[in-house]
Amino acid sequence: MWRWLLGPVAALGASVALAAPPARLVLPDFEDLAAKATESVNISLDTALLGLAAGFLDSSDPEDAATKELIGGLKGIYVRSYTFGADFAYPSAQVDLVRKQLAAPAWQRLLEVNSSREHTHVDIYVSVDRGVANGLAIIASEPREFTIVNIVGSIDLAKLHRLEGKFGVPKLALPQGNDGGKDDRQPDK
Amino acid sequence: MSPDLENEDLERRLHGALEAVDPGERFVPGVLARIAAEPAHAQRPPRAAAVVSWLAFGLAASVVVAVLLAHEWQLRRIEEGREARRQLVEALRVTDEKLNLAYRAVNTQQQAAPAEHSGA
Repeated sequence: MWRWLLGPVAALGASVALAAPPARLVLPDFEDLAAKATESVNISLDTALLGLAAGFLDSSDPEDAATKELIGGLKGIYVRSYTFGADFAYPSAQVDLVRKQLAAPAWQRLLEVNSSREHTHVDIYVSVDRGVANGLAIIASEPREFTIVNIVGSIDLAKLHRLEGKFGVPKLALPQGNDGGKDDRQPDK
Repeated sequence: MSPDLENEDLERRLHGALEAVDPGERFVPGVLARIAAEPAHAQRPPRAAAVVSWLAFGLAASVVVAVLLAHEWQLRRIEEGREARRQLVEALRVTDEKLNLAYRAVNTQQQAAPAEHSGA
């Protein structure tokens, strides 16, 4: 499914050779958002905690083994996600603080999508060092949800996709091939 | 010397040897002082035994406390590990969800574009 993103990532990796960029973003507290949210997710997993979590993954279990393989090259995962009971206009100041860190040449915007139908806005940035993607940032704004994800280290999106439908990762039956958007959806089972 | 003379001589010497002699004024206080001093010497072995007992007790208590602390540390480590694993799974779930959201938006745009061209 995520092969549609792998192409641009590889292209960026091949074309951009930079000094080691700070792939770890400084995320604000988002106290205002947390106070108004009905549900908050605040996850900060550094290298030590990722190693600790990996120690509690059972290699004999296929799902755990896949997760272990996925996080093998990661140095940190940081997630801030806020869900609201009603449509909410987010204060842009704190979000702008994050966006300012996602500046070229350290970060490259991989994707910016606006869906007027779903009222969603998603930005995906990638950090590249010496031809290797070493960081990923996602900023997703929806009418009732705001999310920032920062992954530090090399992440294989195809491996992440293999976890879809497991651990509560939603299974959306999206295309599997690298067909650049050809809709070959399979019905969800 | 005749046997009778020998006996008399022996008797006289014994009598002389067994004659009461005044030990002097310092004898009694000296004896009393030594008696008083002896119990102090006699108490040393029980005190040493008590010290050894306390040391053994202290050592045993230290071992028990160390074992309990190690157990507590291990339990906490297991709890932290499980929590880290839960957060990892949640983080991957959110990441995949947002990547899917982006994909849906891209797909919707790509589907809309040909429709606009064909309609033009």
